[in-house]
Amino acid sequence: MENFYTYLIVMIYFLSIAFLGYLGYKKTHSSKDFLIGGGDMNPIVMALSYGATFISASAIVGFGGVAATFGMGIQWLMFLNMFVGVVIAYIIFGRPTRRIGAKLKVSSFAEFLGAYYQSPKIRIFVATIIFLCMPLYAAAVLRGGVFCMQQVFGISFDLSLLIFTIIVASYVMAGGMKGVMYTDAMQAVIMFVCMAILIFGVYKSLGMGFSEANSALENMKDKVPESLAAVGHQGWTAMPQWGSQQWYTLVTSLIMGVGIGCLAQPQLVVRFMTVNSTKKLNQGVAIGCVFLLITVGVIYHVGALSNLYFMEYDGKISIDMVNATDKIIPYFVGRVMPTWFLTIFMLCILSASMSTLSAQFHTMGAAAGSDIYGVCSKNRPEKKDKMTTMIRFAVLISILISYLICYLLGESSDSPIIAISTSLFMGICASAFLPAYFCALYWKKATKEGAYASMWVGVIITIILLIFVHAKEASALGICQALFGTDVLISNGMLKFVDPIAIAFPLSCITIVVVSLLTRKKEENQIQK
Amino acid sequence: MFGISDPAIWLVYLLSIICTIGSIIFGIIYWNKDDKNDKED
Repeated sequence: MENFYTYLIVMIYFLSIAFLGYLGYKKTHSSKDFLIGGGDMNPIVMALSYGATFISASAIVGFGGVAATFGMGIQWLMFLNMFVGVVIAYIIFGRPTRRIGAKLKVSSFAEFLGAYYQSPKIRIFVATIIFLCMPLYAAAVLRGGVFCMQQVFGISFDLSLLIFTIIVASYVMAGGMKGVMYTDAMQAVIMFVCMAILIFGVYKSLGMGFSEANSALENMKDKVPESLAAVGHQGWTAMPQWGSQQWYTLVTSLIMGVGIGCLAQPQLVVRFMTVNSTKKLNQGVAIGCVFLLITVGVIYHVGALSNLYFMEYDGKISIDMVNATDKIIPYFVGRVMPTWFLTIFMLCILSASMSTLSAQFHTMGAAAGSDIYGVCSKNRPEKKDKMTTMIRFAVLISILISYLICYLLGESSDSPIIAISTSLFMGICASAFLPAYFCALYWKKATKEGAYASMWVGVIITIILLIFVHAKEASALGICQALFGTDVLISNGMLKFVDPIAIAFPLSCITIVVVSLLTRKKEENQIQK
Repeated sequence: MFGISDPAIWLVYLLSIICTIGSIIFGIIYWNKDDKNDKED
């Protein structure tokens, strides 16, 4: 009977998604509708869509598990998600992006940069990077959703993959941005409600209040395993030891990489172009912050508190209960919450996966269909009529590529490609796109040569660091080992734990400033002559 | 504060609360206000 209700709720969920996708389809009449929802979306829908796109299943299950293992230091990521990802993103970046975007009449991130710098080359470059790097990243998100679906229906990986892909593909292709944002909004509400229930349930089961539970967790610092203490773990209510391996990982990879990398994510930036006034962005700030506080803040907090629960009932800390960071949150929720809640939690994970994935599919399709094909066909009028069809076709191609990657990797694959591609995409967004994007908004002296050079520096430095310096990816790829007989080129010191963004991003910033000043001077001299 | 002795941790909770309250106040104040540049455009 329980299974019946689970199936029923999941079927209602999928039917709701189908309906919202259909609604998007009915309201999509042009390529502008398909790419930016006509530019007049509701601010609440926009803010919820932004939040849902921001939070993937790995943010809930993966980083929740990191919080369970390493403690509350990861709450800095939640704070940066709110402060940088919403407050700064909306006010400092979103408002001028919307205004300039409307002025330039652009409908995608690549088109924005290309039009601002008056360089089709930049547009093609940005779109190509998106189209090449995003399918692997999308495959990682796809796998998370497929595993969740497998658990709900008890079906094979291949069948889950097929069904999951068809569902997301149908509403992205049919409804375009409107379909994506309507479904995102519904999924954001599910995630919000789920996390609100979860925090009450966890405190009820612990039988403690907020401060009392924190104090009890602090008293557990002597339970930190030696292996974790050796890398800097000082307890679940303390930051890792300053300058330790864990400190560098937390601060540079998780906090800086993800917290700052979010500013130039094409699938997020394009949401600013979906509203038609600044006041709609202002309205979205509060919704975005509250959403992230409840979703991300709760799961990180609950992750850390899971140690308290397991210690009380099983005499073990969380990581000793399941031996895998990714499995801690699902196991803990299963233990601490009533059975009926598990269906809601499943829907929450499915929602997190689907909302992120749909935005990725849409962004890849826009990059290939509107930016690459659009520029190559030179926007000829007869081609323009077919643009929406071409973008839909490009979305289909992007989906098929992501599907094939996920299918080829298979169920039990422990390939590092997914982790590497996620790091690569985050790193490139921050290092290659962010300096040029920021200068487009605030530094009028930036030239297209400077922007183009900084993009190349960002991409090349990120790739070199991932292959030869950053231990996690370099050792997994094995290229450095094959060429030089060592996992990383610089094995002494902490550089191997420093995320590539921390190096590539400043270099890219310096490049755009120096090259812009040099090329601007040259341009001015030519004018004077 | 909050039962946590490490300032780096209780500070992040405090900042998150301040950030949320600040964003709500910002939202209320600017709910219906457009940017000057918008009007110029």
